[in-house]
Amino acid sequence: MRHATTLRIGPATFRIGSAWPQPIADLSRLYAAYPAMTGAIADFTVRLQPTSLMRRFVRPSIFITGDHGLADAAPMSLSHGLLAAEMGMNLQMALGWRRHLLLHASSVEKDGRALVMTGESGSGKSTLAALLSERGWRLMGDEFALLDLETGAILPFPRLVSLKNRAIDVVAGQVGDARMGPLLRATAKGDIRHMVPRADAVARMDQGAMPALLLFPRFGHDDDVRLVGQGEIFMRLTQASTNYVALGEPAFAGLTRFVTGVPARAIDFPSGEAAIAMVERLWEELA
Amino acid sequence: MPQLNAIKAYRRDMEDVVTSWALDDLLLLYHHRSGQTHMVISPVPEILAQMADGAVLGAADLHDRLARDFDLGPRADALAEIGAHLDALVALGLVRPA
Amino acid sequence: MSAALLVRVLRDPAVAAGLDAAGWNGLLAAARAERLIGTLAYRLDDAPAQARPILDDARRDTAREAQQALWEADRAALALAPLGVPVVLLKGTAYAAAGLKAGQGRFIGDLDILVPREAMPAVEQALIAADWEWVKEDAYDDAYYRQWMHELPPMIHVERDRLIDVHHTILPLTARQTPDAAALIAAAIPISDGLYILSGEDRIVHAAAHMLADGDLQGGLRNLWDIYCLLPDADPVALQARAAHHGLGAHVAQARRLAAALYGDGARLTVWDRIVRARLLARDGWGRETRKLLVFAFYLRSHWLRMPPLMLARHLWTKWRKGHRPQ
Repeated sequence: MRHATTLRIGPATFRIGSAWPQPIADLSRLYAAYPAMTGAIADFTVRLQPTSLMRRFVRPSIFITGDHGLADAAPMSLSHGLLAAEMGMNLQMALGWRRHLLLHASSVEKDGRALVMTGESGSGKSTLAALLSERGWRLMGDEFALLDLETGAILPFPRLVSLKNRAIDVVAGQVGDARMGPLLRATAKGDIRHMVPRADAVARMDQGAMPALLLFPRFGHDDDVRLVGQGEIFMRLTQASTNYVALGEPAFAGLTRFVTGVPARAIDFPSGEAAIAMVERLWEELA
Repeated sequence: MPQLNAIKAYRRDMEDVVTSWALDDLLLLYHHRSGQTHMVISPVPEILAQMADGAVLGAADLHDRLARDFDLGPRADALAEIGAHLDALVALGLVRPA
Repeated sequence: MSAALLVRVLRDPAVAAGLDAAGWNGLLAAARAERLIGTLAYRLDDAPAQARPILDDARRDTAREAQQALWEADRAALALAPLGVPVVLLKGTAYAAAGLKAGQGRFIGDLDILVPREAMPAVEQALIAADWEWVKEDAYDDAYYRQWMHELPPMIHVERDRLIDVHHTILPLTARQTPDAAALIAAAIPISDGLYILSGEDRIVHAAAHMLADGDLQGGLRNLWDIYCLLPDADPVALQARAAHHGLGAHVAQARRLAAALYGDGARLTVWDRIVRARLLARDGWGRETRKLLVFAFYLRSHWLRMPPLMLARHLWTKWRKGHRPQ
């Protein structure tokens, strides 16, 4: 393809090709601190290509595909090219990663132990991870947590943090423009802006940590902390995993061990500040 | 399944072996052959345990085996419940029509 | 062209030793796009450190798929057992069930079965009773399938989310060739309770029909690999006679030439063979299909082979109005 780059994020290497220069230029700027991977054999190929030959120039729209793709994926506007590249990488991980149990969760680390937060889009898990990572925690990932089925450790996948709508201003004000990507207006999920993880998150992206606390955050409710039954935790984590079934018995064994060994709570919070206080308190008590 | 009503006898196939793990009061079963995970509660684990020897059993046989260790209440009710569990287990593939 | 590289490596795995990173990236992208990554993984004994985990994943994935495919076959056998009709496993599931070389590392998607045509209504009812349901409730597609196709509209299992295709013959009724479905079933080989696979010759006839008389050659390299692996199990003379009986002599002969040319010791190719080969190898180093016009020509051709022209026009129009276009 005309424009290309190769990126490594945690254990996965992506070869990304694009019919247009802009998405690759955005990636190169925001992933500048990540390991140089020129000449590597990539785990996945991502392609950002025109929906048809004509559409490369006329109202260009991007079809996201690669080794793994969805035939009916809706095309995206070229002005959202960075998001398209990120979604292309996510798609490969979600459909193709087999070396760890992939959980749709954010994770941060402190004192060598990991906090895992899982929930639907809009639960606040990304924002919370971003905020914690500016307050002494190491960001391991805002989208996928990788559970190593042999050791039980959580491995980092610290791609750019994807901030949506109101969370953009909350976080951007704290980290400064140099670590922020372009503002992508009116995507399918509203406004989106990407944040570059702090240098230590990138430098230590090969270092896993044993999970010490699992939280199910929910933003926009009054403060509340609830116990969650092990059966429910197991079900929610299998639903939050795209490769639980594909990994077979090792995933069963690894996930049951995780559920049995890691304390878990569901937390509701009205604001980021309230959530941080709650997380710090639960970490002291339980982890 | 249409034929289930007609099933009179059941058995567990040695190939349908499961790995189990207890979570609170639930039992998780990993069924190797299908790659499926099932979440079950009592009396399903007890029924499967009674069938572990591979014997061909009807609901009544199973009732008598279970009655040795558990108080099952009125026989007719217990039989109906055991029959329903067996048919559900056939649909999952953990138990086969004999 | 990375599809050509993929074919060279499948033919001679030693070729992989000379590849640089760009070569490997092209090889892996093509193998994934052609759904031959598992096959490639089994063919290669050694690979650079960065490629090895990718190939290990592919081996594990296809082993698990084979297991799941066999489980679906087991479930279908249970649902259909009361009917007492032979259930013939087709394609990937059959290869896995019989432990054939063609099944090693093969991706297996849907469960394809062949049953006697007169048993179709009973089979349909038994599957619905066992929790399979229609994938789409679309009157047009449904009527199209029932009137013209060689199979029921696809069904999916409510709990397990797996598709089943129930065939009563191996080509659409509108196709010019009319294989002898009764003979396929009569010659089928039992493998377990109520389940059968096609005879060695019929397996090749079916694979060739599927690849050359039915499809637009999507996935053609994998179909051709199947055929290449199946050929040693059939007697060449018996195979050609059987193919002629089904009206598919020319297709099987072409499949044999192409299999030998791409994966074997070579063969003399006709002009038409060369066009098909060009279509099969139309994939670049990013795994993209190249030669769009050739690919589109084959899409049209695949429908032309199955349907008389007026019907084709109507069918394409209906599809396009609904927004479906060949990718």
